Amino acid sequence: MTTASDAQQKIEEYLTRLRGRLSGLNHDDVREIVEELRGHIVDKAAGGGEVTVARVDATLAALGSPEELASEYLTDNLLARAEVSRSPLRILESLFRWASLSVAGFFVLMGSVVGYFLGGAFMWCAVLKVVHPQSAGLWAYRDSTGDLAISLRMGFEGAPAGARDVLGWWVVPIGLLAGCGLVILTTRFAVWCVRQYRRSPVLPNG
Amino acid sequence: MKETPAHDQQPADKWEVQLRKGCLELAILAALWGGKLYGLEILRRLESDSELIVSEGTVYPLLSRLKALGLVRSEWVESDAGHPRKYYALTPAGKQRAVEMAGMWARFSSSMSRLLAPLGKGK
Repeated sequence: MTTASDAQQKIEEYLTRLRGRLSGLNHDDVREIVEELRGHIVDKAAGGGEVTVARVDATLAALGSPEELASEYLTDNLLARAEVSRSPLRILESLFRWASLSVAGFFVLMGSVVGYFLGGAFMWCAVLKVVHPQSAGLWAYRDSTGDLAISLRMGFEGAPAGARDVLGWWVVPIGLLAGCGLVILTTRFAVWCVRQYRRSPVLPNG
Repeated sequence: MKETPAHDQQPADKWEVQLRKGCLELAILAALWGGKLYGLEILRRLESDSELIVSEGTVYPLLSRLKALGLVRSEWVESDAGHPRKYYALTPAGKQRAVEMAGMWARFSSSMSRLLAPLGKGK
């Protein structure tokens, strides 16, 4: 085997690993990224002369591992999709990625999880009030210390002893409105944060 | 030149790496001000004109992001090297962004220079 073919094999191994890690992107984007980097590696390793294994090794080392490089492309792609997405699942997937990179991402993720959880709980409560009218709803009662407590119940267990149904059937429209509102507000908050982050100078390395 | 892993760096080194990375978007837009360039040319321009030595693995994803933001456009051009090269050029939005960032940089640099002047005299 010649030195040139050894060098070529190293390039192809690197690009194959990179291609495998970029599987989350669409086919055309992956092809463009791989071809651009192939050109970069060949141009730099040639350096006006012959492409040698040593030069290819140095060039690949300067680029970083395929996993690190793919992570940089994928992070921005995930955030870009979140920016135009209205799907809570897709947004949360992107926020998990962001949270793995920065403290700011972690706090945005936590805020969004709480927002979606509360929104979902309100909507579920509204729906389940129809199924369990005697136990689902927003209940006010005195706890063991005599303090006033509020509990949002889905109806899978009985209402607290001596509790008063605060909203009655109004929990259905109010729960749906509050739940939808919370989900929409949380989505807007998350998308706004992602947009600000993507406009920042450079995403941190993964 | 590859950057030292962040966990091996002293605080001052980390700060310098972050400073360089923070300038990278403006540096790339400025490098493209004179016309279209492909990735390796941009890297060489950054090294020769600004001594801004950055990880090559950072520049290509950033170019991709600048394209997604509409600040640069790209086109494939056949070359004598035997493979096509992806050239980048500023869009009108990219030119506007470069001018805005250059203005911010000039104001920031000027105010920091005034603040830091006593430190130079104290050497």
